[in-house]
Amino acid sequence: MDEAALLQNYLIVGALLFGIGLIGLFSRRNMIVMFLAAEMMLQGVSVSFVAWGRYHNDWGGQVLVIFILTVAACEAAIALALVLALYQRSGSLDIAHWHRLREENRPTYIDLEVPEAKDVPAHAWPHLTPAGIEPPIDREEASHRSHV
Amino acid sequence: MFDLDTLMVLIPALPLAAAIVTAIFGKHVFGQRAHLPTVIALIGSFLCSVPVLFEVHRQAAEHGSSLAPEHGGGSHEAGAKSVGWEHTVNLWRWLHVDSVLATPPAAYETGHVAGQPVKLPGSWGTRLPFDIDVTLRADPLTAIMLSMVTFISSLVAIYSIGYMHGDPGYWRFFSYISLFVFSMTMLVSVSNFVLLYVFWEAVGMCSYLLVGFWYEKPAAAAAGKKAFLVNRVGDFGFALGLFLIYVTYGTLNFHDVPGELAGVLGQTRLAAHSLYVGGGVATAIGLLLLVGACGKSAQFPLHVWLPDAMEGPTPVSALIHAATMVTAGVYMVTRCTPLYFQSVVAQDTVAAIGTFTALMAGIIALTQTDLKRVLAYSTISQLGYMFLALGIGTLPGICAGMFHLFTHAFFKALLFLGAGSVMHAMQTIDMRRFGGLRRLMPVTHWTFLFGCLALAGVFPWAGFWSKDAILAAAHSRAHESRLFEILYWSGMVTAFLTALYTFRGYFLTFHGPERVPPEAGHHAHESPPAITIPLTILAVCALGVGAYFEYTHGFVNFLLFTPSLAFTGLPAADVDKFHMDVALVSTAVALSGVGLAAFLYLGDQRQTAWLASTLRPLYNLSYGKFFFDQIYNVAFVWPLWLLAQLSSLVDRWLIDGLVNLVGKIPPACGGVVRTLQTGMVQFYALAMVLGVLVLLAGIFWKS
Repeated sequence: MDEAALLQNYLIVGALLFGIGLIGLFSRRNMIVMFLAAEMMLQGVSVSFVAWGRYHNDWGGQVLVIFILTVAACEAAIALALVLALYQRSGSLDIAHWHRLREENRPTYIDLEVPEAKDVPAHAWPHLTPAGIEPPIDREEASHRSHV
Repeated sequence: MFDLDTLMVLIPALPLAAAIVTAIFGKHVFGQRAHLPTVIALIGSFLCSVPVLFEVHRQAAEHGSSLAPEHGGGSHEAGAKSVGWEHTVNLWRWLHVDSVLATPPAAYETGHVAGQPVKLPGSWGTRLPFDIDVTLRADPLTAIMLSMVTFISSLVAIYSIGYMHGDPGYWRFFSYISLFVFSMTMLVSVSNFVLLYVFWEAVGMCSYLLVGFWYEKPAAAAAGKKAFLVNRVGDFGFALGLFLIYVTYGTLNFHDVPGELAGVLGQTRLAAHSLYVGGGVATAIGLLLLVGACGKSAQFPLHVWLPDAMEGPTPVSALIHAATMVTAGVYMVTRCTPLYFQSVVAQDTVAAIGTFTALMAGIIALTQTDLKRVLAYSTISQLGYMFLALGIGTLPGICAGMFHLFTHAFFKALLFLGAGSVMHAMQTIDMRRFGGLRRLMPVTHWTFLFGCLALAGVFPWAGFWSKDAILAAAHSRAHESRLFEILYWSGMVTAFLTALYTFRGYFLTFHGPERVPPEAGHHAHESPPAITIPLTILAVCALGVGAYFEYTHGFVNFLLFTPSLAFTGLPAADVDKFHMDVALVSTAVALSGVGLAAFLYLGDQRQTAWLASTLRPLYNLSYGKFFFDQIYNVAFVWPLWLLAQLSSLVDRWLIDGLVNLVGKIPPACGGVVRTLQTGMVQFYALAMVLGVLVLLAGIFWKS
């Protein structure tokens, strides 16, 4: 395949990844999903770097990708810790919950009506035979966990 | 046992130590025995000052000359006696500043004229250092002041044991008293104008603390403040005087320090009086120092604080009036005699102010109904007498002034302590409310009578001799000019007024029908021994000191060995001559004053009322204290109050407004950005992306 065409394909994939990530970041309220979307944007950029590196025959692009991966790993650690802390505070992963950190006198965020979810048949998850002592489970927490 | 140096240090050190000990341990350790450190220290101080007195007396007679011969052209004979006699104890150097002042002309000349006893550092135009050495001096003037101050203070402290008994601030009182005595002993023994000023202020501060001792009482707090503020006015003048002395003479030391400039009142200058600056500068120095002395010694324009100072405890009044405060001004003027002799104007002003004050305070004292207030105005009047004596401008005059200061200390302390004893028994000091106490309080009565006789100047009590000396000194110059004639006759009138108001107070208090105010209750009896013993001692002194020193000539002949008074510029005069003619006139005047008082105030006092209504304007003037308080209120207090209000408004609205305005700018700016803080994370992300887009657009736009 022609080098330029190859580059173009890679760049399109990278741009798509970036765009999807951006849209995901903007449109989702679940903190973990938002974090995943942000990761996806990073991957999109990484793909572009690799493509340009290959096109110019320069290792710099690949080096930068390794660098991005490292940063992303650190970022993941911090982000998940934050998400965990926020979740423990509010009992919810919804980022809108932290809307109350806004400046005084700013209008409240009005949650739009969520469309009714379609009736999805519950999956029959396989059950393992319980073993050992059953750990004490917080009922409320369990109710959240079951959906994640 | 001790040498002079140790004693000189011990005299102020003991009261200081007592003040510190009482301040720290007084309340919890000593309790009702808080007087012990103070009384012991003050008596110890007095016991130290007696050997100092004798040692100075011996040394002065041996090594000093009382009237220095004029040195023509500055030729010092080998082994010549010093001018007067002084001994200095240099303790430590308190302050040193390099090259402060270009050598002033007066200082420059001393290096040449005086036959090199003092080496000038460098020549004309050299910049001089500014040094303050803590140096104590022993000379006759200081020795007399020290023994007088410590003696009176010791008696007052003993008296206070009885008087202040049971007061919640007992320990505080004795701590202040010690500090007061420390300040005063330092004031009279330091040998430097700056240190004189420091202790001048310290004395003022102690008087503030003691006058306002019962600070819960609004009148006492106000009186303390008034004393402090009025003194501030005087001290401002005094400070200006010191600055002028410094720029004129290049030093502020009294004594000569080897290797430095000749001291202002040092041997070099005293030996050759051409080394003093004359003319307008001398007049300015004299008048500025006089302003300070007026403040401290309660003379005419600044006398208003002293009568109000009666709000303090009575022993404090006795201290202030007799020993530790008002004498400072007289002491300072005496010490600066050589400076005053350079300016006739300054001297005449001293005499005029003194005479006017003496007359005015005498008139005011005639009508006051408060016994302590009568005594307060009498103090002002007597201090005026001293200033009159100092301003006469002859050696007998100055000696008479100091002699009067000395005798006055005894009988005024006696009178105040006697009034305090009456107040202790009656719980009030208003003479209209009690009377005829002579049988109720016999010891107080007799001692008070002795004080009155001394104050009125009746032969042979102490006041007679000193007052006669002053009048004689005034008389000796009365033929010279109209001014001195007026001064002499005003002095006579004051002597008459003194006898009149003194015995008015005496008759109203101790004679007539016995009246005791109801609030006296069980207090209406003779005071305890702690009060009567000091009274008795002082009464003996009030009788004895005048005649003793007049017949032995001990006081004056000793005082003349003070360097400042052995100064060559003084006209030599016969200092210890007794003037029979003046004495006869003054005795007649005093006796007629006593007689008039007896006529007016013994019996039914019909004549008093008639006299008061006949001389209504004069009576009102006297009763209203010449309306000085009102005049000062309108002239100074109200304008200053208005200025203060104005400043307060400006401060509150203009200055505070500006500061607050500055404070409001950041929130105003922040308010704009605040609206972006919506709390929606997606919005922030969007903002970031938009920002990046704008940046990119900018970059591509450029390229």
